[in-house]
Amino acid sequence: MKILFILIYKDIIRFLKDKPAVILTFVVPAILIIIFGNIFSGGGGSRGKIPILFVNDSNSQIAEMIESKLDSSDNLRIIKSYFDDELQKEIKYDEKLARNRVEKGNYSAALVLPIDFFTDTSTAVKFRILYDPKNEIENSLIQGSLQQLIMSQIPRVFPLLLQRKFTADLDTTEFNRFRKGIANTMSSAFGFNSDSVFNSMNPKTLEKRLLIDDTSSVASTGDNMLSSIIKFESEQVVGEDIKSPGVTRTVGGWAMMFLLFSIVGASISLFEEKQEGSLKRLLCSPVSRTQVLWSKYIYTMMLGVVQLTVMFLLAWGMFDVDIFKNIFNLILMILFSAAAAVSFGMIITAHAKSINQANGVATLIILVMSALGGSWFPIVFLPEWMQILSKLTITYWSVEGFLQVLWRNAPLIEILLHLSILGVIAVVVNWYAIIKFKKGNMI
Amino acid sequence: MLKIENLKKTYGKIEALKNINLEIEEGEFFGLLGPNGAGKTTLMNVIIGYLSADSGRIIFNNSTISTQSSSFKNQIGYVPQEISLYQELSAEQNLKIFGKLFKLNDSHLKAKIHEVLELVGLQDRIKDSVKDFSGGMKRRLNIAASLLHDPKLILCDEPTVGVDPQSRNAIFDLLQKLSNEGKTIIYTTHYMEEAERLCDRLAVIDYGEIRAIGDLSSLISLIDYKDKLRIIKNSESLKFLDQFKDLGEVIQNENIIDIIPSKEFSRLSKLFVEIEKIGLSEELLSIKRATLEDVFLHLTGRRLRD
Repeated sequence: MKILFILIYKDIIRFLKDKPAVILTFVVPAILIIIFGNIFSGGGGSRGKIPILFVNDSNSQIAEMIESKLDSSDNLRIIKSYFDDELQKEIKYDEKLARNRVEKGNYSAALVLPIDFFTDTSTAVKFRILYDPKNEIENSLIQGSLQQLIMSQIPRVFPLLLQRKFTADLDTTEFNRFRKGIANTMSSAFGFNSDSVFNSMNPKTLEKRLLIDDTSSVASTGDNMLSSIIKFESEQVVGEDIKSPGVTRTVGGWAMMFLLFSIVGASISLFEEKQEGSLKRLLCSPVSRTQVLWSKYIYTMMLGVVQLTVMFLLAWGMFDVDIFKNIFNLILMILFSAAAAVSFGMIITAHAKSINQANGVATLIILVMSALGGSWFPIVFLPEWMQILSKLTITYWSVEGFLQVLWRNAPLIEILLHLSILGVIAVVVNWYAIIKFKKGNMI
Repeated sequence: MLKIENLKKTYGKIEALKNINLEIEEGEFFGLLGPNGAGKTTLMNVIIGYLSADSGRIIFNNSTISTQSSSFKNQIGYVPQEISLYQELSAEQNLKIFGKLFKLNDSHLKAKIHEVLELVGLQDRIKDSVKDFSGGMKRRLNIAASLLHDPKLILCDEPTVGVDPQSRNAIFDLLQKLSNEGKTIIYTTHYMEEAERLCDRLAVIDYGEIRAIGDLSSLISLIDYKDKLRIIKNSESLKFLDQFKDLGEVIQNENIIDIIPSKEFSRLSKLFVEIEKIGLSEELLSIKRATLEDVFLHLTGRRLRD
C-alpha cells in the first residue's frame, strides 16, 4: 500500500511541476467554461444585446407602441440614428441607409416600419425586415425576437384590421346589414340594446378604443387570417447567391484556429533546434542570428499561407464556396492573417522558457482567442465586456475579414481596417519578439 | 594559430570564465580537461561565436577576430556535444544543408559528402534517416558534418559522450587521423583517459579558471610523486586502513584504495617492506603511474568526476 502511495505521490508532484499540463488541465477548461457559461446563462444579465437598425416612417400610434417595446427588448439593441461628424448632429436612419449598412455588414438586420405600416385605411400592417444571414443562429434570434415582439402588439389592432378587412371586402350596405344582424342577434339572445351594439361597431369609435384598451385577449386566431392582415416582408439583402452559406460563414473561423495551432508549432521548432544543438551548428556556419530568425519567420509565413489556401480550396472543392469571385481580397486576407498569426507564434516562442511551456500557453491563448474572436460562435452572444476583449484578438479581425470577403464580396476599401489591424499586429508584435529573442539569448 | 587573451564571461553573478589565457599552435591536438560545469563548453561557445564574451579577445592567425565573422567561421569546424543533426532527414540531406551554408558548390559538395562519409565509415548509410542510426553512428556523422568545408581548426566539445567503447575508439582514430593530416584540434573532455590518449597539450580548467597548461609529463611533474600504491578494497585490506595512513595520503574509491606515498616512502621498495610488515597479501597490491586524475586532484582538491 505504501508503495502505491509513493507511486501516486510521484505522479502528483511530476504533474504539478509540469506547468503546461496544469494549465491544460485546469486553466483552459475553466476559461472556456466561463465563456460558454456567459453565453448560455446570459452572463448574469449582462449578455450583449444584438444591435439592429430601426426605421420608423409611420406616424401611427401602433408604430410608436412597437418602437417603445423594441426599446425595452432584452435581446435586441435598437439603433435609430447615428452621429454625423460633418453635420455635427444625430441623423435618423432611413430605409436606404439602413439597407446600405446591412449590406456592408455593419449590422445584421434592420426593421423597417414603412410609411404605409398602418394608416387610416390599412387593412393590414406591413413590416419589412432587411437581414444579413451571415450567421444563422444570430439571424434566427433576431427574426424570432422581432416577430415575437411585433405579434405581442398586433392584438391591439387586430379587431380593427378585421373590421377594415370586412369593410374592404363588403360594401357599406352589406357591412351595415352585417352589423345590424349581429346587433339583433345579441339583443335577442343576451338582452343587449341593439342600437348600442350596432354603434359600437362603428369603425371610427372602434379604432380609438382599441388603441387605448389592453386587448391582448384577442390574440387567438388562425394563421391564414393573420397572414392576410400582417404583411411580414423579410428581405435577405446579402448572400442570396451564395451556394453554401453555412460553410462560407464558418470556414474562416475554423481555418484561423488551426492556422494558429500549426504556426505556433512551427515557430517553437526553434526551441527544438536549440535543444538538439542544430541551432548552434547553424550559427557556427556563416549564418547570422537575424538570418536564422527571418528564415523561421518566412517559413512559418509560407506554411500559414499554404495552409489557409488549402483550406479555402477544400471549401471550394467540397462545398462549392466561391473563393474566386473576390480572389484578390481573399489573397490579401490570407497574407495578412498568416503574418499576424506568425507574429503570435514568434512572441510565444520569444517569451516561453521551454517547448512545454510554449505549447501550454499557446493552447490556452489559441482556444480563448478562438472562442472570443468568433471562430466557434458569433461574438454577439458574448457579454458586452467580452465583445470588447474579442476585438483585441487576431482571430476576430481575421474571421470578420474573411466574412467580408467571402460572404459580402466586400471591396478592398471595406477590408482595409481588418488588413491594417492585422498588419499592425504583425509588425509590432514581430518587432517586439525579435527584441525579446535577442535580449533573452534565445538565439 | 589561436590565442585567447583575458577572456571573461559571466552569467549574472556566476563567473563562468575567469580571465582565460590560452595559446594553441597550428597542428596541435589541444585538450581542455575539467569536470562538468568547469566552463569548457562556455569557452567553446565563446570561441565559435555562439556566446559573446564580456571582455578579452581572440586572435586567430595573428589577427584579432570577431567570432561572428564569416571568414573565421569558414575556417573552424565545430562538433557539438549534442547530436546536432536533423533526425528525420537522411545523412546526405543533413550534410547538404550544412555544406550549402558554407557556400560549397553542388559538385564540390557532393564530392565532400562522399569523402567525409567515407572518413567516418558511413558511406553505405548515405540515404538512411539519422533517426535510424545507432548512437555511435550519429556521433560520427556529427563529426562529419563539421568537416565538409575543410576547416583548419576543429573544436570538439565532448564528442564521445554516451558512446560505446567501440564507437569511441573509432572516433579517436578518426580524430587522430585528422590531427595527422595537420588539422588543429581543440578537444574538451572530462575523461582523463581520452585527454591522455589524444592530446599533445592540455589545459586543466575548473570553475572557469585555467589551473595548469602543458603536455602530459609537465602536468604530471606538478605533483610530488610519480607512482602510487593501489590496493584492492575488500574486507581484508580495510582492516589495515589506519596503518595505511602512516604511509601517505590514502584515497578511497569504490573498489580501490590508493596510497600516495609520503616523502619518507618515496622509494617504492621501502613502501613494499612496510606493507609486508603489516601483513597484507601481495595479490591485493599494484603500482600505478600518476595520472591526470591525480594532477587534477592536486590542483583543485577534488576529483574529475566529483
